[in-house]
Amino acid sequence: MAGERAPRAHVVCRADELPPGGRVLVNLDGRSVGVFNIDGQLHALHNRCPHAAGALCMGPVTGTTAPTEAGARTFVYTQANHILRCAWHGWEFEIESGRCLSDDRVRAKRFKVAVDQGQVVVTI
Amino acid sequence: MIDCDVHNDWSSSNVLLPYIDPTFRDYLLRGELPGARGSFPHAHRPWLHPEDFRRHDIKPTTDDEHYSFMREHLLDRYQHDVAILTGEEALEVSTLANPHYASALARAYNDWAVDTWLPRDDRFWMSLIVAPQDPQGAAAEIRRLGAHPRVVQVLTSHGSYRPYGDKFYEPIWEACHEMGLPWAVHLGGQGGINYQPIGGGPTTYYWETHALLLQPAMTHVASVIANGIFERYPNQKLLVIECGVTWLPSILWRLDANWRALRKETPWVKRLPSEYARDHIRMSTQPLEEAATKQQLWDVLRAMDGENMLMFASDYPHWDFDAPDDMPLPPTWMDKVMDANARQVYTKLPRTPVPWQLDAHKEPAL
Ligand code: FES
Repeated sequence: MAGERAPRAHVVCRADELPPGGRVLVNLDGRSVGVFNIDGQLHALHNRCPHAAGALCMGPVTGTTAPTEAGARTFVYTQANHILRCAWHGWEFEIESGRCLSDDRVRAKRFKVAVDQGQVVVTI
Repeated sequence: MIDCDVHNDWSSSNVLLPYIDPTFRDYLLRGELPGARGSFPHAHRPWLHPEDFRRHDIKPTTDDEHYSFMREHLLDRYQHDVAILTGEEALEVSTLANPHYASALARAYNDWAVDTWLPRDDRFWMSLIVAPQDPQGAAAEIRRLGAHPRVVQVLTSHGSYRPYGDKFYEPIWEACHEMGLPWAVHLGGQGGINYQPIGGGPTTYYWETHALLLQPAMTHVASVIANGIFERYPNQKLLVIECGVTWLPSILWRLDANWRALRKETPWVKRLPSEYARDHIRMSTQPLEEAATKQQLWDVLRAMDGENMLMFASDYPHWDFDAPDDMPLPPTWMDKVMDANARQVYTKLPRTPVPWQLDAHKEPAL
């Protein structure tokens, strides 16, 4: 099983191939992984949504509405480009934490990612 | 035992004449009516019960008989502790285009009920009927009479001009919350200005339509949750009366699933719809679905936490009456469903619940 393997570092692409706002999808040891550059920070997530195993990392990177008062029913747009909406049913995940906005108990799986000698390296 | 839906009828709408504002007394006295003198001003639904919607073993004619028959056939027969009066035709004020007339009729009904029904029996508690198409008038009425010690809820028909979570009704929610009264939505108002009581277009037959009575109730439940009414009014309750029961878990599952994906559309909704429902919505049992087996029914009722969500109602004296001594519910739920749950909601009732004892409430053999 994948979980029983020792973690392995995989070179995904050259760092300059993943500029801010960019994303690459790769298959690493049979696992689909999305790597995102958000404002210069790299994030790697399992392209398998905790909801129904959908294509999480193929959804839009976007913002969302912050909780507001019911009385005014106003909208405050927030976390622009920090939210990943699953490509399937649209559950929202904070890219930085993997937290699901509609259910605190749900997390998207994140992997370690770093730049090493000009290469983007994901450890899974 | 608490019965959440008992219809206190009149012999004629003329009983309202001493109570209605002078301007509208003329309307009621000489104005056009949907039937003979004594019929109630409203727009009737286009589905007419082919045998009348009242039980045929109970045919009161005078106002005194309306009470004495109720006492005989319901209150004494089943040993009620509490009967929540829900009016009869007065609920249909919601169908009138003229909101001023509608509110005047509602006020007159409320005063008539306070004056003539409450003194008859100390088991009586009542609903304040309001005209939802006149939100300001309705709110004023809730503030005028809502503090009456025997007024336990605000009542409107489930047929409506708009879904009840809509901003249009904000004054009513505000007033309900201020006066500490639940807003109860009861089957009715399926005509006049009320928009599409049946989705997809008007059905053809009475029984067919009656089976679909859940449709507008579904709309109100979704609308009230989506518009954040329970965020805005944290102690507010919505009561769903005579709209069926077993559809609720299915709708809540769907609402939960959609909210998880599209919570950004309503950022004021901060919890799962089913969590708001659990805390703020209660349903009356009647007309309880007659499932093929008790097990099927109980499975669905468990999925909606029926033990805590349901409140018994008979709907006396209508054709789809449910008798309290014949409720197909898990025996361990009876204390709550037949009494305690309603006491939590109707906070003016005596606080101590009365445990359910079938023998005490059993109809004497005929
Ligand atoms: S699979 Fe991702 S939201 Fe359903």
